[in-house]
Amino acid sequence: MNLIAQTLADGLVLGGIYALAAVGFSLIFGVLHVINLSHGILVLLGAYLALIFSQALGIDPLLTLPLVMAVLFAVGYVYQRFLIQHAVDRSQLGSMLLTFGVALMLQNIMIWVFSPDMKNITPSWAFTSFHLGAVNFDAVRVSALFASLVLLCCLALLLKFSPLGRVIRATAQQTMAARLCGVNVRHVYALTFAVSAAFAGAAGIVIGIILPFSPADEATWTLNAFVVVVLGGVGSPAGALLGGLLLGMVSTLTAQYIGPSFPNVTMFLLLVILLLVRPTGLLGNAFSASR
Amino acid sequence: MKISPVWAVLLMVASAALLALGPLVLPPFYVRVGQLMLYSAGLAVAWTILGGFAGYASFGHSAFIGVGAFAAGLVEARFSGVAPPLLLLLGLAVGGLCCAVLSAAIAYPILRLRGTFFAIAMLGVSHVCAELNNNVDFFEGSLGLNFPAVAPKNLEPATFFYWLYLLAGLVVLLIAWQIRRSRFGAGLLSIREDEDTARMLGVPTERYKRLAFVISAVLTGQLGVIYAHSLGYITTDSVYRDDTNLSLIVYSLLGGMGTLFGPVIGAFMLVFITQVILGRLLDFHLFATGLLLVVLVLAAPGGVLGLVRTFLLRRRPAAAPAE
Amino acid sequence: MSPAPILRVDRLSKNFRGLAAIADVSFAIEPGSITSIIGPNGAGKSTLFNLVTGYLPPSAGEIQFQGRPITGMATNRIAELGIARAFQIARPFRDLSVFDNVRIGALFGKSGNRDVAATTARGMELAAIAHLADQPASTLTVGQLRHLEVARAIATRADLLLADEPCAGLNPTETAAMIEVLRRIRGNGVTVVLVEHDMPSVMEVSDRLLVLDAGRLIADGSPHAVAANPQVIAAYLGTPDAV
Repeated sequence: MNLIAQTLADGLVLGGIYALAAVGFSLIFGVLHVINLSHGILVLLGAYLALIFSQALGIDPLLTLPLVMAVLFAVGYVYQRFLIQHAVDRSQLGSMLLTFGVALMLQNIMIWVFSPDMKNITPSWAFTSFHLGAVNFDAVRVSALFASLVLLCCLALLLKFSPLGRVIRATAQQTMAARLCGVNVRHVYALTFAVSAAFAGAAGIVIGIILPFSPADEATWTLNAFVVVVLGGVGSPAGALLGGLLLGMVSTLTAQYIGPSFPNVTMFLLLVILLLVRPTGLLGNAFSASR
Repeated sequence: MKISPVWAVLLMVASAALLALGPLVLPPFYVRVGQLMLYSAGLAVAWTILGGFAGYASFGHSAFIGVGAFAAGLVEARFSGVAPPLLLLLGLAVGGLCCAVLSAAIAYPILRLRGTFFAIAMLGVSHVCAELNNNVDFFEGSLGLNFPAVAPKNLEPATFFYWLYLLAGLVVLLIAWQIRRSRFGAGLLSIREDEDTARMLGVPTERYKRLAFVISAVLTGQLGVIYAHSLGYITTDSVYRDDTNLSLIVYSLLGGMGTLFGPVIGAFMLVFITQVILGRLLDFHLFATGLLLVVLVLAAPGGVLGLVRTFLLRRRPAAAPAE
Repeated sequence: MSPAPILRVDRLSKNFRGLAAIADVSFAIEPGSITSIIGPNGAGKSTLFNLVTGYLPPSAGEIQFQGRPITGMATNRIAELGIARAFQIARPFRDLSVFDNVRIGALFGKSGNRDVAATTARGMELAAIAHLADQPASTLTVGQLRHLEVARAIATRADLLLADEPCAGLNPTETAAMIEVLRRIRGNGVTVVLVEHDMPSVMEVSDRLLVLDAGRLIADGSPHAVAANPQVIAAYLGTPDAV
């Protein structure tokens, strides 16, 4: 009984982080209809930037969050506006391959600059833990989860109530009509991507304080994001949260009860099955209202 | 761009004869590069039967390389007394059979997906196969599998495998060519262009897609069997590889997606670039492949053959104005 | 004695979540005729075509083609039996030439003996686009694309052609050319059913008119009889009471 409670708790914690790591990907898929295969590398970029900033400024990695998010916001804007935009109109396969190409290039650059070795940004208070009943939590994971949930809420509020959020949703639902209303769609797309990249970077920091990371992890995080979107739904933080939690629990349950090397198999099987049954996820496409 | 069949056959025979001379005149390094070129070209054409012709771009075809290779290896290990050439044939038969069964089994559900969903689902299939191969002891993926030496005694293995890849590549090319010229091939092209309209015109789209999928899978598996023998010893990571998954798409994209010879050109070019030009600069590989992808998508979506076609069209006088 | 109908629709209905797009429609089409289906926008004309070609399953009712029930049959099977459709929004195979487009129709379509080359040539000729044979479909004008739709449909050796607003968006010259093509097709033994809004052309070319309004068949007869039908006039123009 204790074991299953612990496993589920671990799954929830992991799931919250998966959700944050996937929400940016989900947003781009929902609004721009682009499958951003460089998502994982943006997550890692966040982690590496946090590493640099926290060392240079001598502060806790979590405190570098605003700075990292700002940098990735800018990077994301430029990336979408001046590169991906040109491939968006061709075909979905085109934008997939383009972003994959960029991911490979950035991965190589990261290997040159940072070396292929594992790094981490575990803070000094990392090794404290506390109990809640029979379940054990460690401080790092809990703060990571907390940060994830706060950020997801911020994004949800942004999308729902802010002018930017309204414009993004309108453009996603009816692009032509939005254009006719005077919306600069390219600018909106670029802003959406910028927001997505910022959150990807934030996720990178959160992941970086828990796990060691290296440039080779980028594919894992991109695929994770894809699975979360397929599970939970496209385009919404709520969908990302649902998908993330499901994935987190499936991962920990599989690792505990089937074997430590099987979570990926289960994840992919789940992915394939879901793609067949309900490709837009359990909560559906958040922007499909007008379709 | 249409070449008459007679010329095409002559061209292929001449190229094959020229290529066959390779091991006799080239230094060993280039013979190995040649092997890789021919192997990649064969894989590229096998992939394109589904991806280029029918438009179902699979991101996970290395699954079939792996299944073919391991099926062959596991069976051959139990018949070690048999003569080497027969062993190879046995391996090819078993590898082909397993790929046929696997592809037929997943064809129904997976071909219901379109575009990127199909691509990613196949990536998922590839990863599931890889993980099962690595974690389930029966497949001996993590321990590794040994393959019997099948090269004839008085022939250099490198030369033998070079000629074997050449032969296999030609077989794959001939099959793809025949498909292309047939009613089946025309049906596949119409599926790529507009699947729903094709169906409305009477094309048996579901049946054709499944057939293309199985043919592509089996041919890929056969090449995987040969590859495994040429390595002599394989583990999961030797055959289930994401970079292979990606390369298979890039070959067709680089050479000309949807064409027959484009994948061959693309494979030759990419292998040449990575092995010969960038050979020493291993650190640069990822960056170069990535850059190539970006440039292709933005500047030359039709690949090399697309550029050639555009160039040729520009030189032709303008077509008569429409009435 | 009139010949057996090539298409018979019996009490056909289609509901979309409570909305009756087609309600209890019955009619029979004579072989070798040109029948036009007219009606205000939203009357259900395209839905009717979707039901006959197997694109949508009906909620109730039966469809028979050449005496054989085809209700709910798969689209490619229906094509193999000999029904073809030309879409209002043309769907050519963009990267293929006009010739290759038409050839797909000739290679597939109605099952039976195929003389692919001859059928392709005939299809292009009847639709008056033989001179465009080598052009990529992506370079054609709207009018030419409509002709391509029809050519491809003819090449399937269909006995029944369903043409969905073939004259929509065409100027008078192009419209006349399209009507001429439809006449030529009928002369070759193909039964034509079209949905159209261009009244003069409809009146001129049709043997019979069917009028749909809000999913129901409100008139069925010769063009002049239907045009004088007060219900039809009310459906299009409204009654004097309604503003």
